[in-house]
Amino acid sequence: MKSLKTKRPYFYILPALLFISLFIGYGIFRAGVESLGSNGSMFVHYTALLSSEEVYKTVRISLYVTVTSTLLSILIGLGITRLLYRFFTSVKWKYIVWVPIIIPHFVAAYLVFILFSQSGLLSTVLHGVNGFGLPFPLVNDQGYIGVILTYIWKEVPFVVLMLLPIYQQIDQRFEDVVRTLGGNTWQVWKTVELPWVGPVLLETGLIIFAFVIAAYEVPALLGVTYPKMFSVLVYEWFYEGSWENRPLAQALMIVLTVVMVISSLIIITISKRWKKQWAKEKIK
Amino acid sequence: MKRLFKYGLYTIILLFLLLFITFPVVVLVTKSISAGWTFPHLFPQFFTLRGWELLKSNPEIVEAIYTTVIIAVSVVMLNIIFALPVAKGISHYHFRGKTVLETIFLLPILVPSLAIAMGLHLTMIRLGLSDKLIGVILIHMLPTLPYSIRMFKAGFDQLGIKWEEQARTIGVKRLRVFWTVTFPMLAPNIRSVALLSYVISLSQYALTAIIGGGVVTTLPMIYYPFFNSADQMVIAAFSIVFAILPILFLMVLEVFMKIYVHIVKR
Repeated sequence: MKSLKTKRPYFYILPALLFISLFIGYGIFRAGVESLGSNGSMFVHYTALLSSEEVYKTVRISLYVTVTSTLLSILIGLGITRLLYRFFTSVKWKYIVWVPIIIPHFVAAYLVFILFSQSGLLSTVLHGVNGFGLPFPLVNDQGYIGVILTYIWKEVPFVVLMLLPIYQQIDQRFEDVVRTLGGNTWQVWKTVELPWVGPVLLETGLIIFAFVIAAYEVPALLGVTYPKMFSVLVYEWFYEGSWENRPLAQALMIVLTVVMVISSLIIITISKRWKKQWAKEKIK
Repeated sequence: MKRLFKYGLYTIILLFLLLFITFPVVVLVTKSISAGWTFPHLFPQFFTLRGWELLKSNPEIVEAIYTTVIIAVSVVMLNIIFALPVAKGISHYHFRGKTVLETIFLLPILVPSLAIAMGLHLTMIRLGLSDKLIGVILIHMLPTLPYSIRMFKAGFDQLGIKWEEQARTIGVKRLRVFWTVTFPMLAPNIRSVALLSYVISLSQYALTAIIGGGVVTTLPMIYYPFFNSADQMVIAAFSIVFAILPILFLMVLEVFMKIYVHIVKR
């Protein structure tokens, strides 16, 4: 009986674990195999990536779009949560936050398109003012502004939903202590909120970053043909011509996977340590 | 005075948030029924349901709605079946390797799913899973399962073990405890998990295109070529369909949950 009891959690976990490790493990393994060169020079496709000007531009634009979208979503989401978390406990208002969540990314992209494209609503309003509409494109533009706007609209509610339960757990008396000791809002943030919110903020940022850097749906609609973001370039390579660029596509995705796994492990470790350290201090 | 100011500030922020979220949706709905609302006309020329009628009379779209809903509902059910036990195990037990496992369960949304789909492509063809619903359903598990596990874990964390223990001490069998106590008490989490995995499944283009091989025609497969087509009314109406489907699903789910609780109570 005892042995069953200690083994029980493993039984609960096994089906999903098998499914995930099989899919990810085997998928990445196959992609890795297919990314290798056939005769002699195993890493020929990887060296091809390194010397490609297009790949370099893709890395740059992908990082720029991802970092900007992630940081802005986190900052705006954090700001909204901090201001409104007391309000959201009683009021049913919080359900409006769910609206962008149930709208698919490509529909959000269409919303950005009808509002901010050259023939969109903003341009139309400006046309009434200046006679020609938007002076420069905001959608399908070199700066990927439309893509970033879409991600912000979609991810800010996600940040709010991740942070809301944490903020509602924070004991109000901690803030009162800091305030009575003469602390200002910055000190309340640093000593009361950050230890609770920080680890979750890191994880949320990581999830958004990982999603945006590898997502195809939005940049395929609102991006430009040059430079392309990772997934758009890879998707194109994957289906181009007689599949001759497939190994190149697999190689680029393997590189991205390796980078994402390593940076995820680092960030999750930091987040876990942070949580643990705080738990210890609470006991003291 | 300061209090009044603070409430004024809250109201302004809330109104701004409301505008930020709902304004684009209002424009979208208006767009689906307005003719000639294009640059440089600031207002629609006239209103018509033509966009909706064109959408309704397209047999490809009606067919795709069925396919999409079948896939999404299967994804939801598989998510509940796989994620519930994992969340229970992680939340209510301490065991070796738990932190490592938690990280592994997060991996599907950290590793590019495109890489996995491309890697599995040939194998899926070989196994006969490609170009079929089942292959698409399975690949849609990747972007959904981590969220489901996380949301159920939050539910189990909040529930604690006291309810289950109480039922167990009065001699109720483990499986019965689950169906009569745990499952109904997790209703809010089931609702969130179902809604989110449904929406995520609905939002997949690249994964469906690769594994479905262009044969499994879900709504996004049709939406993408539509996006740059001329008729804005039709695309706007099409976009709204994507928002209606989760709402309908939620309503049906609500009815099922009511019936379930009713049966269990007897």
